[in-house]
Amino acid sequence: MDDNTRQAMRQWTLAQPVVSAYVTSIVRDFRDRDDVLQEVAIAVIESFPTYDPSRPFNGWAIGVARNKIGTYLRERRRSRLVFDGETVELLAAAFEKISPERVQQLDYLHDCLGTLEGRARMLCELRYESDLKPAMIAGLVGMTANTVAKSLQRIREQLRNCVERKAALDGASL
Amino acid sequence: MKRNPIELNDGYFDRYFDEVLSDEEQDALNTWIKADIDHARQFAEATMLHDRMRAALVELGKEQSDIEAVRVSPVSWIHQERSNGFSLPFLGTAASIAILCLGLTWLTFGQATASAASRELDRIILQSVRSADRTYKIFVEQTVTPKRNGMRWPPQEERRPPKPSLDGATLHVGNNNRFVLIRKTESGTPFITGSNGETSWAVNPMGPVRVSNDLSRFNRDLPGHESSLSLTNIHDGLASLRRAYDVQLSSLGPEEFEAQVGESYRLLTAVKKPNERGPQRVEITYESNTGRIQNMRFVQMPYGPDRLDLRMALVDENPLAPKFFDHRSHHASDRPIEKE
Repeated sequence: MDDNTRQAMRQWTLAQPVVSAYVTSIVRDFRDRDDVLQEVAIAVIESFPTYDPSRPFNGWAIGVARNKIGTYLRERRRSRLVFDGETVELLAAAFEKISPERVQQLDYLHDCLGTLEGRARMLCELRYESDLKPAMIAGLVGMTANTVAKSLQRIREQLRNCVERKAALDGASL
Repeated sequence: MKRNPIELNDGYFDRYFDEVLSDEEQDALNTWIKADIDHARQFAEATMLHDRMRAALVELGKEQSDIEAVRVSPVSWIHQERSNGFSLPFLGTAASIAILCLGLTWLTFGQATASAASRELDRIILQSVRSADRTYKIFVEQTVTPKRNGMRWPPQEERRPPKPSLDGATLHVGNNNRFVLIRKTESGTPFITGSNGETSWAVNPMGPVRVSNDLSRFNRDLPGHESSLSLTNIHDGLASLRRAYDVQLSSLGPEEFEAQVGESYRLLTAVKKPNERGPQRVEITYESNTGRIQNMRFVQMPYGPDRLDLRMALVDENPLAPKFFDHRSHHASDRPIEKE
């Protein structure tokens, strides 16, 4: 592996959480998201020599992701995009501004997920690990799709609070 | 960039992630985001958490799989049982021992609560959804043709041609409605039905291969289809147990399954509620540590005019080739194909 590739991979590792979230904001199906993200990673490494180091790497990588999302959706003839071009552009700008500290805070998520029990944990696993939508989960767990969606909303809120609480505690102890 | 303020109801982000927003709501979200860069920032923050949850839960799932992978495969007893054959006297003895052990277990441990059984059902369903491809061997333990208003059903030769027997059939099951069921006709020729999740198909010994966009088209001659307890869709079958059955839980001693030291099994028994359709009783034996199903038994399962006692035993969990669930993997390339 040459220096150029090594540097590209280092930069990509740092940018990946934000680029991944940007792709997820537009491509909601996780399996599709994974495919797109893989394409983006390859493109970022391959076209790294064209990257201008005086500009933020995240912004450049998000630009690469935007192109790949467009190509992927055209090739797969997926349903229409929810967001129009202007929104997609604004989102790219918003994701680019997400601070490294904010990204780092989400490392607490692993611990916070460990606090989920019973039905809450099961819903998360079915939604995120098995990539099932609320209607499908509802059939499996004997709830209505609406209740599943509401429960997932509450769980995310609970996890968000947990992450922020842990980050604040750690910040205070420094 | 600020435009007219737009109110967004609580939970829009979450409902967008879960793909439950209506078209109008999606348009409203799109308009709301581009109305203000701060809205885009809020949405981006929420997406960061949602996206990281996927990564974290997949990682946790892999950790769990790794823990399970280092354990000794518990399916050896099934292979042993198959190589020894499967006779009714053996079944009778095994059933007596099982009943005795169950009784002792019952007295020792007592009956678990219904809520515990329900939680266990959750766990089994989750494990079932998580699992990759599985292969089961089907055994028909007993077939009873009940009397009809004091009369027996017409003898078999007067009825429609017999369906290929389920006894000894092999069932391969994947996620997303994918299955391949291999039965044998009386002459020993394979009769194969299946689905790749997009089309269902039947490969008869004679005639064209039939393919249909109706995924349940070739399920209809299988028991359980009409009661949402289809053998070929185990997730949905397990989910319907919750609705139509009372579930009870008990522990099983490892001696019953020739298990490795340290492994234990539980038995989840589901008894049909009055006025519901389906088998009278479903017994699920699963590993207590992982929730992995080893054995499913359906007692008095309706099958045309008959009632079957039928057992499905897990024999393999290795991933199948990607094209395995396509009909072309199960017949010669020059066979005619008839689309229905």
